[in-house]
Amino acid sequence: MALLLPPGLTPNEVGFLCEMELVTVIPRQRLDSLELLGGPTQALKPPFPAQLPLWLALLLKRQKRANISPPPWLSVPALEQILDFETDNNFAGVFSPSPDLPAPRSTVSMPEDPYLSNHTLEMSAPFLKDSSTSRAQENALPYHWLELSHLLLTHAADDFDDPDSVRRLVRDLREVRMSKLRKGFKVLESSAGVKMNGVGGMEIAEVRGFVGGVVDGLRRINRSREEARREQMDEGGVGYGSSGRYADDDDEMEL
Amino acid sequence: MATSYYSVDSILTDSQKAPCRFEVSVPLLTPLNNGAAIENGTKLELPFWMGGMLALSRPAGPSSATLASVDMPSELGPRVLNALKADPKSVDIKAQARWFYGLGERMLDLFDDEEISEVLNDTFKQRALEIADKAANTRTTQQGGDEFLRGLEESERRLFRAAHNGTNDVKKWFDSSSRA
Repeated sequence: MALLLPPGLTPNEVGFLCEMELVTVIPRQRLDSLELLGGPTQALKPPFPAQLPLWLALLLKRQKRANISPPPWLSVPALEQILDFETDNNFAGVFSPSPDLPAPRSTVSMPEDPYLSNHTLEMSAPFLKDSSTSRAQENALPYHWLELSHLLLTHAADDFDDPDSVRRLVRDLREVRMSKLRKGFKVLESSAGVKMNGVGGMEIAEVRGFVGGVVDGLRRINRSREEARREQMDEGGVGYGSSGRYADDDDEMEL
Repeated sequence: MATSYYSVDSILTDSQKAPCRFEVSVPLLTPLNNGAAIENGTKLELPFWMGGMLALSRPAGPSSATLASVDMPSELGPRVLNALKADPKSVDIKAQARWFYGLGERMLDLFDDEEISEVLNDTFKQRALEIADKAANTRTTQQGGDEFLRGLEESERRLFRAAHNGTNDVKKWFDSSSRA
């Protein structure tokens, strides 16, 4: 039966998940630790920066109880550097790489358990720590870069040194990367894909429906050809068409 | 067969017609032929679900003939194929069949035609790119009405909608998140 929702996250959901990213705030008021479902938050003591989820940081920002310090990659020099990489002809087909993956943490509850051992604990894009705090890597765009920069630029613009330049650079980056994605559509094939390393969550949500549809359509068209090929491989080139032949003797009709 | 029982699209795809030629005379099926008798060699346009069934099933008895044979419909004939080879984007494939690719897919199940498969594959790819471009900036296409968009068949329509919804949903999120 048809599922009502398309597979994958919608842009709304991606935007919602983005609000769970930790950002660095500089509090203006004291606030004790809050017991949230995701664990207790850091207690806020005015001069010291603290890491809070984005939604809480935006709430405090709106109430003027805290300032958000934007992550290092959301600064004019860092964005210019990334934009240079994106527009460099040598890297025409690739996106600027996502942040380096951290080494697996060593605090595993059961060190001898093979399923929980360090090298099987792979950290990957949406779950990276510190991707948007002030400790973030400077020269790479994290998974939620587009959503996060949009939220910060609209709700905490006065915390930036030069919000207009940052906004312009983010928009440039978005357009460059989108056009790269569009170029990638050309090589879509029933069995081939586009290399999308470093593409952000919102960008994926934007093109998922289309790319999925194209690959699915191509797969349908090529299905019979694919099946014939597989049959040939299975039976060493001999189809079992002889029993199912049509009466009008068309040689091409094998079932 | 890639048919899904609940899918309206697959039902409608199956109801597209293909020319069939009966190999045996079937006196009791006269309603299919507007009351005229169906003899050996009678040609009829039958919906694919019936044609395909007749082509695959064989009557009991000594004869090894199938009940009917299906021919390639004119929608996938050489004229259309040549036009598609020349320029996939200028062909109004909706005028050929509303589920053009579905029809091609069903026919490819019956015939092993490398050429058709190749042409359909190519057509779909090139038109998909065009669809992506048109879906990205709908303002120009909405006003004058676009020749290309009117010629989209059903699965392409769906593709257009998917591409358009993607950009639109992102835009909507941007708008709504700036307000709150």
